[in-house]
Amino acid sequence: MSASYILKRVALTFYTLFVVSVLVFGITQILPADAAVMMLGENATPEALEALRQQMGLNDPVWLQYLHWAGGVIRWDFGISMRTGQPVGPALFSALGTSLTLAVLALALMLVLAVPMGIIAAVRRGKLADLAVGFLSYVGVSLPEFVTATLAVLLIADFWGWLPPAGYIPLTQDFVGGIERLILPVTVVSVMMIAHVSRMVRSELVDVMHTDYVRAARLKGLHPRRVLFRHGLRNALLPTITIVALDVGYLLGGVIVVEEIFSIPGIGRSLMSAIQARDLPVIQAGVMIMAATYSIVNFAADLMYAWLDKRIQYD
Amino acid sequence: MTTSLTPVLQVSDYSLAYRAPRGKIPVINNIDLTIARGEILGLVGESGSGKSSMASAIMRHLPGNAEENAGSIRLGTTDLRAQNERAMSDIRGRRMSMVFQDPATSLNPTLRLGEQLAEVLIRHQGMTTAQAWREGEARLAQVGLKTPAEMMRRLPHEVSGGEKQRVVIATAFACNPELIIFDEPTTALDVITARQILDLFAELQAQTGVASLYISHDLALLSQTANRVAVLQKGTVVEQEETVRLFRAPNHSYTKALIAAAPDPDKRLVQPLEESGTPLVSVQDLSVKFGRKSWVDSLLRRDFQPVVGNQAITLDLQPGEVLGIVGESGSGKSTLAKAMTGLNRFDGLIEFDGKPVRGLSDMDRGYRRDVQIIFQHPDASLNPRQRISEILGRPVRLYGGSGNPRERIKSMLERVRLPAHYIDRFPHELSGGEKQRIAIARAFLSNPRLVICDEITSALDVSVQASVIDLLMELHRDTGAAYVFITHDINLVRQIAHRIAVMYRGDLVEISDAERITDPDRADYTRALLAAVTPPAFTHSL
Repeated sequence: MSASYILKRVALTFYTLFVVSVLVFGITQILPADAAVMMLGENATPEALEALRQQMGLNDPVWLQYLHWAGGVIRWDFGISMRTGQPVGPALFSALGTSLTLAVLALALMLVLAVPMGIIAAVRRGKLADLAVGFLSYVGVSLPEFVTATLAVLLIADFWGWLPPAGYIPLTQDFVGGIERLILPVTVVSVMMIAHVSRMVRSELVDVMHTDYVRAARLKGLHPRRVLFRHGLRNALLPTITIVALDVGYLLGGVIVVEEIFSIPGIGRSLMSAIQARDLPVIQAGVMIMAATYSIVNFAADLMYAWLDKRIQYD
Repeated sequence: MTTSLTPVLQVSDYSLAYRAPRGKIPVINNIDLTIARGEILGLVGESGSGKSSMASAIMRHLPGNAEENAGSIRLGTTDLRAQNERAMSDIRGRRMSMVFQDPATSLNPTLRLGEQLAEVLIRHQGMTTAQAWREGEARLAQVGLKTPAEMMRRLPHEVSGGEKQRVVIATAFACNPELIIFDEPTTALDVITARQILDLFAELQAQTGVASLYISHDLALLSQTANRVAVLQKGTVVEQEETVRLFRAPNHSYTKALIAAAPDPDKRLVQPLEESGTPLVSVQDLSVKFGRKSWVDSLLRRDFQPVVGNQAITLDLQPGEVLGIVGESGSGKSTLAKAMTGLNRFDGLIEFDGKPVRGLSDMDRGYRRDVQIIFQHPDASLNPRQRISEILGRPVRLYGGSGNPRERIKSMLERVRLPAHYIDRFPHELSGGEKQRIAIARAFLSNPRLVICDEITSALDVSVQASVIDLLMELHRDTGAAYVFITHDINLVRQIAHRIAVMYRGDLVEISDAERITDPDRADYTRALLAAVTPPAFTHSL
């Protein structure tokens, strides 16, 4: 992996973010919302509205407004929320922290379950274990998280009462209580990813186990465990990294739904209420933050891939 | 040669079949083989003859649908068929090992070469990692690698094909096994590299006295390496004989046919060229470069070094001439062919029939009709979802011509010696040789004046290759088209070409009359290339 490769990928990431910022800003311009009306209410006098528009720069040309906004974003200033009158940044970043806790735990749970499931299915190909994993993952793929979330709340929280149905307590404040409230949302978010990734690991591993070099490893008399893990799995996991990185996009979407259902004050929930209230600065900042997260994760995946597979030289 | 009483390998009355949905497919029928210590048994056969299945059966690495008879396979006094998988994994790599055809696929791309060698020593000799790496270095030195310590740390893609195969061979010899199976170990390598690997094999074989089963499709090669040769046809050993006797007086008709099908450079198949003043094609200073300068390079003010595919190639081709192009893989043979058909960008000039062609935009319909290309793998060059009528219908529609298109296709099929009713078949219903005939028919339907044949017989068995070459030579006589014949089979090209162009790393080394390619005043590289070629079996002083 050369410095030039990393440089290129960094530049590409910034370019992606630039395009996203233009799109986000453009779309919020088209939204049928007049910021001045939003702030002063329906009954404001035209003079007052006009004065506010002047003050907020809403009469400036669009490109100038974009530059103002983008310049602020670069300086970590995401504007003032129209609804609360507070700066957007700090509130959104604290919500992001909550969401990341949820997402990272879901990702970890997914990896812990999906990779072994995929391995077992591949090794016991055509046997009961393979069919069971296959069945479970088809069920998992076909259940959207609003269904699994509702079922989980209904059965586990409501009917059996094993876990609290909703709410969020920061782990630093009350670890046990926080974990109790995270179990259901984390599981719900990870179900579809587990299904997806375990299929991926299985099919990649089945392919790799049929390559010439795995056959050669077997014919060298190596222990089956070494053949499987050192020769097989290592190569099978490479494409899986890409899939996991792409799944982060799904994860961000899933988090929005799950936060809404389980009343978790994360970035998804902030974004939802901002959209309902037409709170433009919050929408813009929220989408930018999500896009940035996604870009950074994919950048990291590319680096990891190039580091694991030394043949890759993208320059 | 030391011969002890118990043979190292004894296969007696062994049969193997694969269960398929439509019944059993027999693969090996009642085979008897024995190999003594220090002996090399050659196993020769065409694709599908069961030679690789025999190797799998000996290694006890058969697919789940394999069905065996009661025959026995013994390694020394051990009955291999009685061993369970656990016992077998203890035998594999230690008492018998294998060298595979293509080192590019038989080495794990993401593990260091040293690890792939040392793991065998750790598994079977109980060495520690440090011991195994030290021993590994010594082994790599033994197979003629100059910098063994450095080699150990490299990944497969960082070394050449020959170096990779040396590592594979070192691994096979690592535990001093009793038996080594060589499954076409030089087929995937270039001529000169293959010769070096063969020399290495002979040297190690003599040093260690290991019993070897040498599987190959190449009789000429076995006539030089094996003590005895078993000829396998459709799973049956039709003849098994001391090498010298087999080639002097082959008994079975199949053996005779195999020997006769091997190309003999002294038997010219092409008619002498009638001199004509103006060349049909004149390639001038043609270069192909891959890659382009990236913005990072410009930013860092770095020099950009494109990968050179062809470096200023200049050559002429007379009407009706057959020009052979030889060279190792990566020497730019196919790159040149692709440039001439507009599949690669190029700099320089191609003059075709006096008209200048400087790039893709100059290749009009007339040029495309006149210049046709046939590729190596008919499986890849024929659309699997089109019937033969569609595949051959396209050139007929594109380049017109008189008569009913379907009739024209049928008569073309007959010209390439295929039954006319093949017109409604799909490619997968045809054999490899038949598919290549379809590809040839497609090229000739436009009545081309230049046909570029890019390794078109490399994927075919010897006997099929001979008949395809016959067909090509017949079409050459009938149509008078000029050929550019790209191949790595130097014996073959000496039979059919008027002149031979030798390429090396993108450069044209020289062009020589086919009859004068063996002259002592040829370029060094040409002489090295010819020295590495195995002469056909029956020309040896046996």
